[in-house]
Amino acid sequence: MEDPSSRTAHDGPPGQVARGGSESGGPAAHGGPPGQAARGGSHSGGPAAHGGPPVQAARGGSDSETDVTREIKTHFRVCRFIMESGVKLGMRSVPVATACELYHRFFECVSLRVYEPYLVAMSCVYLAGKVEEQHLRTRDILNVSHRYFHSGSAPLECDREFWELRDSVVQCELLILRQLDFHVSFRHPHKYLLHYLTSVKALVNRHAWTRTPVAETAWALLRDCYHGVMCIHHAPQHIAIATLYLALNSYGVEMPVGEREWWQVLCEDVTKEVINAVISDLLLLYDMEAKCV
Amino acid sequence: MDRDLLRQCLTHHGESLFNTLQCEQTENPDFQAVASDLAKATYERRGAGEGCSLVEQFIARKADILFCPTWRTAVPREDELEDEEATEPYAIMPPAELFMGVPFEERRAMLYRDLERGDAVVGRINNVREYGFFLTLLCAAGGLRRDIEDLELSALCHIKEIPSTGSHDNPLSYYQIGDLIRGGVKDLDRYQEKITVSLLPASLCPRFAHIKLGVVAREELPKHYSRGLRVANDARETYERILRGCHGYHNPSVVEYLLGRAGVSDHRPPSLMRGLQSKHFHEEDFATVIRKKQSASWALKCVRSGVDHFKHGRHVEAMNEYNKALEIDTNNVEALVARGALYANKGGMMKAISDFELGLETCPDHRNAKKYLCQTLVERGKQLQGQEKFVTAEGLYRRALSLDDSYPEAQAALRRITDTIQKSIRLREEATAKEETEKAKSGKTSAQKLRKILKDEKRMKKKRKRSSSSSSSSSSSSSSSERPYLSPTSTTSSRRRSKKRRRKRGDSERGSPRHRRRSSKDDGSGRRKRSEEEEEEEEYPAPPNTSASFLGSGFLGSGAGRGEGGEEEEEEEEEEEVVVDDRRISQLYSLSAASEDEGSEPRGGDGKGRRGRSFSSHAKGGRRRRRSRRGSSSESSAAREQGKARRRSGEGRRRSRGRSSEEGRGRSREEGRSSEEGRGRSSEEGRGRSREEGRSSEEGRGRSREEGRRKSRGRSSEEGRSRGRSSEEGRRRSSEEGRRRSRGRSSEEGRSREDGRRRSTDEGRRRRKASTSSLESQRSRKSAVAAERPPACRRSSSGSLGQPAPPLAAPPPVPPRRTSLDGGRSQSRPGRGAELKGGEGPRAPPPSTSTSSSNGQGGVARPPQPAGGGAGKKGLPANLMDIFNKIAKFEKEKGAGPRK
Repeated sequence: MEDPSSRTAHDGPPGQVARGGSESGGPAAHGGPPGQAARGGSHSGGPAAHGGPPVQAARGGSDSETDVTREIKTHFRVCRFIMESGVKLGMRSVPVATACELYHRFFECVSLRVYEPYLVAMSCVYLAGKVEEQHLRTRDILNVSHRYFHSGSAPLECDREFWELRDSVVQCELLILRQLDFHVSFRHPHKYLLHYLTSVKALVNRHAWTRTPVAETAWALLRDCYHGVMCIHHAPQHIAIATLYLALNSYGVEMPVGEREWWQVLCEDVTKEVINAVISDLLLLYDMEAKCV
Repeated sequence: MDRDLLRQCLTHHGESLFNTLQCEQTENPDFQAVASDLAKATYERRGAGEGCSLVEQFIARKADILFCPTWRTAVPREDELEDEEATEPYAIMPPAELFMGVPFEERRAMLYRDLERGDAVVGRINNVREYGFFLTLLCAAGGLRRDIEDLELSALCHIKEIPSTGSHDNPLSYYQIGDLIRGGVKDLDRYQEKITVSLLPASLCPRFAHIKLGVVAREELPKHYSRGLRVANDARETYERILRGCHGYHNPSVVEYLLGRAGVSDHRPPSLMRGLQSKHFHEEDFATVIRKKQSASWALKCVRSGVDHFKHGRHVEAMNEYNKALEIDTNNVEALVARGALYANKGGMMKAISDFELGLETCPDHRNAKKYLCQTLVERGKQLQGQEKFVTAEGLYRRALSLDDSYPEAQAALRRITDTIQKSIRLREEATAKEETEKAKSGKTSAQKLRKILKDEKRMKKKRKRSSSSSSSSSSSSSSSERPYLSPTSTTSSRRRSKKRRRKRGDSERGSPRHRRRSSKDDGSGRRKRSEEEEEEEEYPAPPNTSASFLGSGFLGSGAGRGEGGEEEEEEEEEEEVVVDDRRISQLYSLSAASEDEGSEPRGGDGKGRRGRSFSSHAKGGRRRRRSRRGSSSESSAAREQGKARRRSGEGRRRSRGRSSEEGRGRSREEGRSSEEGRGRSSEEGRGRSREEGRSSEEGRGRSREEGRRKSRGRSSEEGRSRGRSSEEGRRRSSEEGRRRSRGRSSEEGRSREDGRRRSTDEGRRRRKASTSSLESQRSRKSAVAAERPPACRRSSSGSLGQPAPPLAAPPPVPPRRTSLDGGRSQSRPGRGAELKGGEGPRAPPPSTSTSSSNGQGGVARPPQPAGGGAGKKGLPANLMDIFNKIAKFEKEKGAGPRK
């Protein structure tokens, strides 16, 4: 979109992607309706919206606000798809986070109407596997996605459709790379969070710590935050501290207080406001889940 | 729900959270169970109040997850790895309170609260007394990572806690003020605020067992302490700067490492989203499961097309498809079974067995895999039996029975093999006994022996006729049944057999059912076959040692038939009967042969008769071998021809042998050669040898030739009437060699080449023993029988000869048998008649075997064959040769038997 002259412009890639979408994305766009409808998302118009950009355009034109929320919901659903696929593919948390961030960054500068989001998501997963050195096979990605859209269906046959699906994923991967200018490696909060956890753990009585599932909760919160665009809008350290803060807070873990709070020590530029902002964003995602699924 | 955790949370958040909880978790029975408990206490908000409403709502909504006991999945890895300090897999940070400015009193209280017995601390000696020394604690070295340097903590290390160095010095003399000491916390008095440390390793918590106690250098102090010092000395140092400066922070797998250390699973990752709870993930949706399923289905597709190829006779394509399927799905049972079946059809029993075994490994209840494995095991067992590897064969049968204890073939085969083993043992014993008696009676001239042999031969023929007639019915049935079986099972020989079958039957062999039909046709079509079979049976009577092999070969044949046509049980039964008959006959023969051998030298006429018998048996053996070799194709036909006119047939046989060899199977050629040799034409032998040698790249052949030469020499001498001992020796050698050879495949061939008749017999035995392919062995048996049978059979064989032995996989069983029979006959019978003479002639040359070999090389061995056939006289010599061979074998056997 941004670079009309490049292949990524509407002519080339979109066409390809559209093709891919209709075939593989078959699941998403065409097959999507049934599968997605089954997932209860039909009313939101998420999948349908992706499948039919013109329709959405018409709707979006009529109501810009609903358009925005609809897009957020779509992204939420697609990210859910990425995360579910990640679990089924045995991906670690960091590659999943990378996939989500790739997805969010891609659609940060590209309209949802132009590209099939689920196809982009599949390519993001594939690309993230490469970026994070946990290589995935397109075949597995296709299989998991296919089953996601058509739950209970038999595995794909090794036929032309399969290879076209595969091609569309690979093509879309190139599209993403071009769109992101090959900036595909990100700093994630995971590393920070884990180091913070060890430091905070040393501040707490070891028995109290083992009794309290802070690490699990913080890790879950961190993973969940990738449902939204938080990862783009907040610094990784802030996200890490916010999730840790929320986890500690949830269990009422008392931390020693000195001249500075523990979170101030861990990150110099973090403030209570920042933490609260991240937390509120995060909590919004949990509210979103109820609306989207 | 975890009540304590919930209480802790409520204590922190206050009453409002409790109210929200009650609203949000009204439907949660778990919460209701603890709610009354929690309601008793009053909660004052301790935490910061602002912005808490959202958080409280979140906590309340997710309370069922957050406070669920199963949520706490993490099993923190407490043990600190020994090399963690050195390699720093993650950033080891100074204690956070160093940056926080936590007040002195609070830190001191926290330390006394959290320090525990078994932790490791480092301190500096500030005072040494006679009862111990005092430390000022510098840092914690294990278990707790706190900043304690400025807390003015003093610890006592009692003298009893200092390990003695063995000398009677005061241990305290080793410690001075200012030393850095690492010790384990032995005791902690939280009220008196007194700490005692120990230098005994037992004072440490087991997970710190790797920490060494005692004096430490400054460089050995823990990293978090040294980094803390940096922070204390430089106000600009921040947590993040240090973090980024750490090696461990840049470790690419630091996330995995720390996650593992924290005990959080990254494969079943936790999530507070309802839709991402692990209970929503079904095993069948996971990539590995889908892939497995998909691979199986893709592989199945390939297998199907492979089976289709197979049905249309395109075996190569079928194999390709199977291999492709196995590439897609390594342990696909269907593909393994299908490939195994293909291997079995092609004769690759071992490959087939390994495929079936593999298939059963992944799917122990696969019906076809089990069934086919049973059949193949029995088949293979029969092959081995043919090679006289009885113990191995027995093991295979037992394995088959362990798979399917009601498998009739395996039961029968096992019964048979145990019988044969016992019989062979008995025969051996008898043979040795006879030998002894013979030795006692030494003295008759060779001429007398010859006469005896001839007489014996006549007797034998009569007997054979009787036996054949009696057994003909059963044999015919068996043969018919066997034929179909054989065809499918045939390994190498299958092609030849198949060719023959095709010619005869005109059907292409594809399915076992078809085989049945064919077999029935065959039965109907020819008494010849029956007669041949009968002959075969007659021939069966092999020398004691060989008898077992013959039987084995018969079994093999039957087994092969089973394997091929596994469906036809009736046929199998018939075969079994036949086999039994054969056994009896063989026993008789073997006995007689043994007696002949033994007596031949010592006893004049008797010896001759015996010799004749032995000849016949040898010849039979040879025939069998030849048949087996020929078995593949033209040989059998040639053998038949030979049967018609022994001399002629002999020629025919030679021709046929030549043909068979031409056809391309080294074995068949070798057999043919051996048979030729047996006929007595040295030139033929030489040729055969040369051929064999040429072919035999196989070691055994070369040996066999040499042996053959020796034998031939021995024979010649024997012919000179000195056959007795020299020939015996030669025979023994040859037989021994043959046995050795038989062990190797080439050995069989070599044996055959060695001494024409003797060789042939020896070879036959060896071949029988060694006969790799059950089919061959079967054929050889049959052929042997046929050879024993009268000319009529030969005629049939000749007819078969007339029918070019199609190299293709004609139903091997029948034709092979015939061929083998013919060959055997030609060898043995002709040998008795003209063959003996011929054989002698050739043998005489053998002394000049080296030359003969060269001759053989120069001239094609086959041409000589016809000549040998032409000479009836030769046939006689051949017979003599056979007799010699037999004698030699017997001798060998005897010698071997007793020795054994």
